[in-house]
Amino acid sequence: MNNSTIYKRKAPLAVFLIPAFAFMAVFLYYPFVRNIVNSVSKISGLGTASEGINTPWYKNFVQLFTDEKLRTAFGNTMLLMLFTIVFQVGIALVLALLVDNIRRGAGFFRTVYFFPIVISATALGLLFNLIFLYNGGMLNQLLLDLGWVKEAIDWKSEKYYMFTMLLPVMWQYVGFYFVILVTGLNNISPELYEAAAIDGASGLQRVTRITLPLLHNTLCICLTLAITGALKVFDLPWVMMGQGMPMDRSWLLGTYMYQQTFNVGDVDYGSAIAIVLVVLGVAISQLANAIFKEKEY
Amino acid sequence: MKKTLALVMAVAMCGSMLAACGGSSSAASSAASASAASQAKPVTLNVVTSYGGDDGNRANYEAAYKAYEQATGNTVLDASETSNEEWKAKVNTDFETGSEPDVLFYFNGVDSNKFVESGKVVSIDEIRAEYPDYAANMKDDMIAASPADGKKYAVPVNGYWEALYCNEKVLADCGLQAPTADTTWEEFLAMCETIKAKGYTPIACSLQEVPHYWFEYTVYNHGNTANHTELPAASTDAVGAKWAQGLNDMKALYDAGYFPVNTLTAGDADTFQLMTDNKAAFAIDGSWKIGYFQENAMDINDFTVTYVPGQGERKSTDLVGGLSMGYFITRKAWDDPEKREAAVKFVEMMTSDEVVSTFGATAVTALKNGTTAPTDADALVTAALAMTKGATGIAAATEDGLTSEARAALFADVKNIVTGKTTAEQAIDACLAVE
Amino acid sequence: MVKKRKLSVSQGLIYLVLSAWALSTIYPFFWVIVNSFKEKRYIRSDTFALPLGEMFTLDNYRTAFERVDILGAYRNSLIISITVTAVVVLLAGFAAYAMARYRFRGRRALQGLIIASMMFPVFSTIIPVFRMLYLWGLVRFESVFYSLLCVSLPQIAGNLSFAIVVLTGYIRSIPVEMEEAAYLEGYNVFQIFFRIVWPLGRPSFATVAIFTFLWSYNDLFTQMFFLRNKRTYSITRLLAEISSQAGVNYGLMVAAVVLVVVPVLLVYILLQKNIIKGMTVGALKG
Repeated sequence: MNNSTIYKRKAPLAVFLIPAFAFMAVFLYYPFVRNIVNSVSKISGLGTASEGINTPWYKNFVQLFTDEKLRTAFGNTMLLMLFTIVFQVGIALVLALLVDNIRRGAGFFRTVYFFPIVISATALGLLFNLIFLYNGGMLNQLLLDLGWVKEAIDWKSEKYYMFTMLLPVMWQYVGFYFVILVTGLNNISPELYEAAAIDGASGLQRVTRITLPLLHNTLCICLTLAITGALKVFDLPWVMMGQGMPMDRSWLLGTYMYQQTFNVGDVDYGSAIAIVLVVLGVAISQLANAIFKEKEY
Repeated sequence: MKKTLALVMAVAMCGSMLAACGGSSSAASSAASASAASQAKPVTLNVVTSYGGDDGNRANYEAAYKAYEQATGNTVLDASETSNEEWKAKVNTDFETGSEPDVLFYFNGVDSNKFVESGKVVSIDEIRAEYPDYAANMKDDMIAASPADGKKYAVPVNGYWEALYCNEKVLADCGLQAPTADTTWEEFLAMCETIKAKGYTPIACSLQEVPHYWFEYTVYNHGNTANHTELPAASTDAVGAKWAQGLNDMKALYDAGYFPVNTLTAGDADTFQLMTDNKAAFAIDGSWKIGYFQENAMDINDFTVTYVPGQGERKSTDLVGGLSMGYFITRKAWDDPEKREAAVKFVEMMTSDEVVSTFGATAVTALKNGTTAPTDADALVTAALAMTKGATGIAAATEDGLTSEARAALFADVKNIVTGKTTAEQAIDACLAVE
Repeated sequence: MVKKRKLSVSQGLIYLVLSAWALSTIYPFFWVIVNSFKEKRYIRSDTFALPLGEMFTLDNYRTAFERVDILGAYRNSLIISITVTAVVVLLAGFAAYAMARYRFRGRRALQGLIIASMMFPVFSTIIPVFRMLYLWGLVRFESVFYSLLCVSLPQIAGNLSFAIVVLTGYIRSIPVEMEEAAYLEGYNVFQIFFRIVWPLGRPSFATVAIFTFLWSYNDLFTQMFFLRNKRTYSITRLLAEISSQAGVNYGLMVAAVVLVVVPVLLVYILLQKNIIKGMTVGALKG
């Protein structure tokens, strides 16, 4: 299919590819090469010059393996990634399919599902902090009034922190995948459904036989975005679970890198963590792509 | 389809034209100011301070520099922001790339080491060689020297103190009164016990996020004003022992249950809320927190601020405080014959007795004549004035001597110390092991 | 389309599920709006109450409008975001088309590079970028034009990778037969891109435009670095400035959220029409 004669001549490739990659080379790849240099240098504060190469140069990379907080961050991030793929994409898929099957109010749902992505993380963080607040937070008040619990629950304690951190993050980005999936659904030609309707396919059959197979590529996009997105998650956990609260249990790779770079001022170690992020992102998403190959039509 | 594209393009074009207009108009205005410069030599000064954002002194600062513009005919290009780690990173980047401002209001401690060491700012002595009256209204021994080379660079405005804020409504309900200059540490502990028995939280503090102020005072309580800022070389030396005792005092407070139940799982905003909710009695915080009470307290008269009860050599009236920021003149501006005079004049006007007095009269000051008190002071400001007036000694915060890496390591370990996961000595050694 | 008239049980269930989720997304928005009319001291203490009686105030908005040039900031924001969106959609469209349709050596490597660049944290790339732009003489804090340009350039690069990933997937789903037919009629690849792929992929381009606009608009970090002079402030930059403090001024913050969100929602609603089915069909046939 792809061997189509149109695309045998490779000359236009340059015109298509060079502008975009030139931009990325200058503003992303070159700075990231600097970041790699930084990771083996000695830098005592962001914006300050390097004081030479670390002794030994791989010092930060050794530290990566001995740093307990980094191990926590890694574990949490992997868990978050799993949850992102299963729940964010899963819920978004269900919602997108449902919205696709209604006649009235589809526009309304499309609009309101977008709300959480546009509200800044600082504001959402504050809201969720107040919902989960120990003293008189919304959730505790509700549970106490209903008599379901005897005393207020500390939602950020070591027992509940995972739930308190994951729930808002999961909820916030469902809308993002929802929009991506709705777009994929609308790329499917309505004629196919009409043909299926004539063949007497039921609603569920339509979904499993037409929609899902044709949504394959969109789901692959979602998978890549979920993997890279989960690795980068930063702002909501940062606002809600500052400093790895509780007891350094809730660190994520994103928050830990920011902490090391800005608050601790260990810029070179922060750069080393950034490299870990990039390597993980590329490796996992290439693996995922190899398993769920994108199809061509 | 095409319509949409056309629309997008049209809007983008308008946008870029607007931008171009903005660009050309600014070019035009700079051309205008350049031509004006050839006549009367008015100068444009680039100034960066931390009085931006919602800073309590923002209005005072703006009024002061407008007055300077009026008096001199110079223009101030102000790029002030709120101080935080990102702001510090930006200031450092500017110095690195050579895009630093002419005058900078910044920290005079280790934060400024980098550009002090590279000679990008001018010392007060060098300026005085030409302008003998520079910072003449300040007490020289109150102007902090740079830890990098021991020279003085920054002319201070208003300083800060750290002290004990009290909720008098909660205290009254427990039959207590706010601590005074004579209250001892033991009496303070007894008060906490009473408050706890009554069902209130004695101390509003997030050990998870901001243990800094309690660390300062518990360490201070095992030393004195002269040796408070000394840094340990190991947990086993005299200073190290003092730090360990202080940290263990914090553990004792934690073990006694004087901190909020969720002190290890709540942020500072959550725990501090307990003060204005009338659920907690005490909190140590800085002079900048007065504004918080003025904004958030139902009744400002319920609150007061006083000395942290002392023990040992430290009198309760010894405060942690100082002048941690000041105006720097950069080498770039000093070497520019047109800007030198303007920059010096700017700093002189911004640090005059009148201007400093408007910038927070409750704070520590280096003024020889002192500040004049505001006429419309509320209960909290009055208490703060009385407290600074009665102070018998002022020590700078000892944490300021640590690098940000070491500081972060130490304070991150406080939660482990109080829960017994590590000892104070181990935490101090781990902090010192950080380069 | 043949559809049953009466609302079946399954339709009812669908609406129930959709409404439940909608409730969870509307509430925070409602909360933000309600609290923007409260005096700031009540925002933490009475956060779930309605702003009635003495709690009600317009002060948050008054402060926002009084202290600063809000309209100028909106203008600056729109210039940045529209420029970024237009450039990203066009260049990413090109690159995605090539990645989806051409077979060439090094394609997998490029794919890896694109995904890698999605992971680059802006915290670690901003300082080299700042130095580079300074070296080129583009960092001129006092000039509106140069400041906005300095924000736009790294933002374009930062959004390209996401846009390419999404568009590549979508373009790959378009049946290649249409392009072959056009080719037989004598179109060259550029004509095919603009006359076939672009209209067919319109929902996808609209989606990418929405997110690029949103991220460019909300990207405070880059804006913080390059927008120093008040005249160059974007709306996000401006409101972050006035609502930040040693603590946080929650009142101004929520008012700021409302002021910031309005344009994004307008853009979304505007572009969303392009994602809807009926119009795609029209474009297909036309």
